[in-house]
Amino acid sequence: MKNGTKNIIKKELTRVFTDKKLILSLFILPGVLIMVMYSIMGNLIDNMVSDIGDHVPNVYIQNSPEGLEDAIQAAGFKANINYLKASDETASVQDSIKAGDTDLLVVFDENFMDTIYAYSGNGDAIPEVKTFYNPSEEYSSTARDSFVNSALQAFRQTLLAERVGNVEQLQIFYIDKVPESSVVMDEGKATGKSLSMLLPFLINILLFQGAMSLGVDAITGEKERGTLSSMLLSPIKRREIVNGKLISLAILTSLSAVIYVVSVVIGIQNLQGGSMGDISKLRFSPVELVQLLTILLVLVYLFVAVVAFVAVHARTQKEAATYVLPMYIVVMLASIMTMFSGGADKGIKYFALPIYNSCLCIQNLLVGELTIQQYGLTIGTLALLAFLVSALVTKAFNSEKVMFNA
Amino acid sequence: MICINNLTKVYKLTRKQMQEQKTKKNMKKAVDQLSLKAVPGEIYGLLGPNGAGKTTVLRCVATLLKPTDGSISVGGIDTLDKSEEIRKKISFLTNEIKLDPQFSAKYMFNFFGRLHGLDEAAINERREYLFNYFGIKGFEDKKIDELSTGMKQKASLAVSLVHDPEIVIFDEPTTGLDIVTARSVTDYLKLLKEEGKTIIISTHIMTEAEKLCDRIGIIIDGRLVMEGTLDEILKDTNTADLEDAFFELYKQNSREEACI
Repeated sequence: MKNGTKNIIKKELTRVFTDKKLILSLFILPGVLIMVMYSIMGNLIDNMVSDIGDHVPNVYIQNSPEGLEDAIQAAGFKANINYLKASDETASVQDSIKAGDTDLLVVFDENFMDTIYAYSGNGDAIPEVKTFYNPSEEYSSTARDSFVNSALQAFRQTLLAERVGNVEQLQIFYIDKVPESSVVMDEGKATGKSLSMLLPFLINILLFQGAMSLGVDAITGEKERGTLSSMLLSPIKRREIVNGKLISLAILTSLSAVIYVVSVVIGIQNLQGGSMGDISKLRFSPVELVQLLTILLVLVYLFVAVVAFVAVHARTQKEAATYVLPMYIVVMLASIMTMFSGGADKGIKYFALPIYNSCLCIQNLLVGELTIQQYGLTIGTLALLAFLVSALVTKAFNSEKVMFNA
Repeated sequence: MICINNLTKVYKLTRKQMQEQKTKKNMKKAVDQLSLKAVPGEIYGLLGPNGAGKTTVLRCVATLLKPTDGSISVGGIDTLDKSEEIRKKISFLTNEIKLDPQFSAKYMFNFFGRLHGLDEAAINERREYLFNYFGIKGFEDKKIDELSTGMKQKASLAVSLVHDPEIVIFDEPTTGLDIVTARSVTDYLKLLKEEGKTIIISTHIMTEAEKLCDRIGIIIDGRLVMEGTLDEILKDTNTADLEDAFFELYKQNSREEACI
């Protein structure tokens, strides 16, 4: 590396790392805020879930058959139950359910038990239990699920036993008596799978965001302040200045992206109570690790070069921010597309689409299915594009029209 | 030595610039067939009103702009050939070129010293000398942002001289400075002249040109309309002072706009 480039990298890094406010606003605050935000969201969701659990539903039961009360008690279904007669009006109860004041109305057919006992097979009437609930109310839908799955299920089992004597006759066979023992999976791959939807998207947009906030100040800001011109007067090639700027920006962007990604992953784990999978279960082979790092490295350099290209052409930081926004949206779109691709195998040609390909690669890496062709094509296209864009940045640095508005 | 031969610089105007300058032509000739020579041991002053093309000439000499036509040789090297070599020999200072406000004057001095390829010992020695001369020593660790306007300008001057250049190019050296700082800057330019450096400055301040410059080139609408010592100019224009001489020349040579 040329001395000019080295000196510029050192200066750019010193500028950031000797400024406490900058360190706080660039690295610490965003990371902490992300974690705090997700933790608060996690707590709110927990509160909501426990609130639903604690709620005692208001339930109306019309034509309650004999034995139902015992089944409700045996099933442990807790509710404020009002029993209605066949002659009672239920329209007002339904209105109350719609308004969210009542949670559930259960209507048993008249002569429910008589119909059941009269059953002898071959097309005899089968009575119905009709439920009325409000799916837009959490309390109501939870009350309905709980009533149907516990109380009503227990009541049906009791009646079945009375009708056929031995219920086991109807069982024929069991499916997974111990469901937990049925799960055969590679926990690492499962974790990778759940992370592969979100992580590539996050990496892409957070990397670009870092490059955006740092690059605009480091290039347009310096141009605007007149400090870039003093560097252009020094006896080094413009290429060295561009390299110094891009490499230092890439280092800072990578650092901020690492902090963001770690904060988001920790935050999401807090949010979902670990359902995203345990990150420590993720295992990369040394080759995969090298693949991941090289993809990220080339991607960072590409993003930094793209932002620098836009920033160098802008006259003010405000103008630069306006120009860079469409690029950000393109990166976001390309990343979002991979979020919902459903893990279907992609043809090799998709790995020639820059940015989109990096997401696909990271997805495949997380589940251990990245082929060497996919990796090679991705690195190749990203590196080629990064090289071309950085050559354009150097051209802009050499242009008096761009640098001095001449 | 600086040799400018028939320098012409044409700017392409954007639509916005055309509107601002109320012209329908998309080209503006900022410098027109200008030739001059500045030799070691003298201060050459480019005198002209705002927009006359002084800064463009100096930026072309400093390799920041490329001539549209003509040539410039600085210290025997053509500006289009080896611009890095020329930048090793020159110092270019203008109000528009500034030091990074987040760093101290000391850091900036060391940084530019390294970019010029100097070793640490040479940088330290040079810094001691220049910072003491300009009275920056006590403020060398303060951020540029925290310095007064005069101190900032002196720091910029010191940093631009880190590599002890043989050619000094100074665009409006005293503009915006208080009288004390302006004096210290002009005194240092005289010192550089005594050391045998080639110095070229631009100014629109008549008294500065009279007192400081050995030879003066009067530039109006991109053309060098007269050149010589103060006495030669006064004699040729038959006037009593530089201001009168300038207005006489301005009347003869000014045109509405220098567009092609």
